Amino acid sequence: MRTLMLKLEPIIWGLFGGGMFIGALVLPAWLLVVGVLAPTGIISATPLDFDHIYGLASHPIGRLVFLAAAALPLWAGAHQLRHIFLDFGGLSRDGLVGGVLYAIALVGSVLAVVAAVNL
Amino acid sequence: MAEKPTKTIVVTRFDPDVDEVPKTQEYTIPVEDDWKVLDALNYIKDEVDPSLSHRWSCRMAVCGSCGMTVNGEPKLTCKQSLADYGDRVEIAPLANFPVVRDLVVELEGFMDKFKKVKPWIVEAKEAAVVEGTNRQSHEELMDFKQFSMCINCMLCYSACPVVSNEPDFLGPAAIALGHRYNQDNRDHGDAERNEIFREDGGVFSCSYANECAEVCPKGVDPSGAIQQAKLNNVVDWAKGFVVPRGK
Repeated sequence: MRTLMLKLEPIIWGLFGGGMFIGALVLPAWLLVVGVLAPTGIISATPLDFDHIYGLASHPIGRLVFLAAAALPLWAGAHQLRHIFLDFGGLSRDGLVGGVLYAIALVGSVLAVVAAVNL
Repeated sequence: MAEKPTKTIVVTRFDPDVDEVPKTQEYTIPVEDDWKVLDALNYIKDEVDPSLSHRWSCRMAVCGSCGMTVNGEPKLTCKQSLADYGDRVEIAPLANFPVVRDLVVELEGFMDKFKKVKPWIVEAKEAAVVEGTNRQSHEELMDFKQFSMCINCMLCYSACPVVSNEPDFLGPAAIALGHRYNQDNRDHGDAERNEIFREDGGVFSCSYANECAEVCPKGVDPSGAIQQAKLNNVVDWAKGFVVPRGK
């Protein structure tokens, strides 16, 4: 498993990097808008109602954004947790732990693809 | 005349012929205001205990010989002022290296990692004969200049959590050096180095703790070099599917 992970490391790191970007920059802004600014009336909530958001998310580009926002942070989380485990001296079980974490991210990503297609 | 102030220097001692494990020895010595940590060690060696072993050379933060752990942190002892510490200063060898004796650590494994990344310009001579003189703009120089400021003091290896867990990890300084040559427009060895970077213990082992950049006495950012090298490897790896790789 470790050999396979080593081979796939560039793509895993690419997905991790994308996830970190979304997690650090896009999701906080999104949470600020839908969690704070709209409910408190600082900005109008009208553009955030179901029809508007559905229209946006069901557009092909919207589906891609939805997919990226749902799937990439899973890879960021899996990769981070794996490295935290390694930093705590878990090298001998890296194959097992990394394998399970990336499998969870993979399953989540497949579900995100299914959801994005069926929006 | 007023008496000179004193400090207690607690030095980790280890004699492989006698000791099973390292022990500490305390020296209370008179100190000067302008002393560096290395001056205290040299005073102990010259005036108090000639059996103390420590490595040093230039005393001006260039040779990279005198890296040690001072009060738990990797420091270049010729650069670190003794006045920055209180009355008790603990000096130990750099962490993550085998100890030869007292404060002297083994360099061999570290040097092997350096050789592995091919720290020289690949194919420069051939290019010079065929195409004439290599030209390099200021911007091209800036792509790698800071990574060439490394003095191989090994503080980054001592601070790196990945080095302590994965002995095969190439480590911050070696990767930064390899990346320095990859970024040099006179060099044509990036494909070879990227293959080494993608091996077990290569760039992707780095968990970006950033401790290497924190402790570097020369302001080099090895963690930045590693992240850039990761990105270059992602691009290089993806290109491998599109462009056939000729040898």
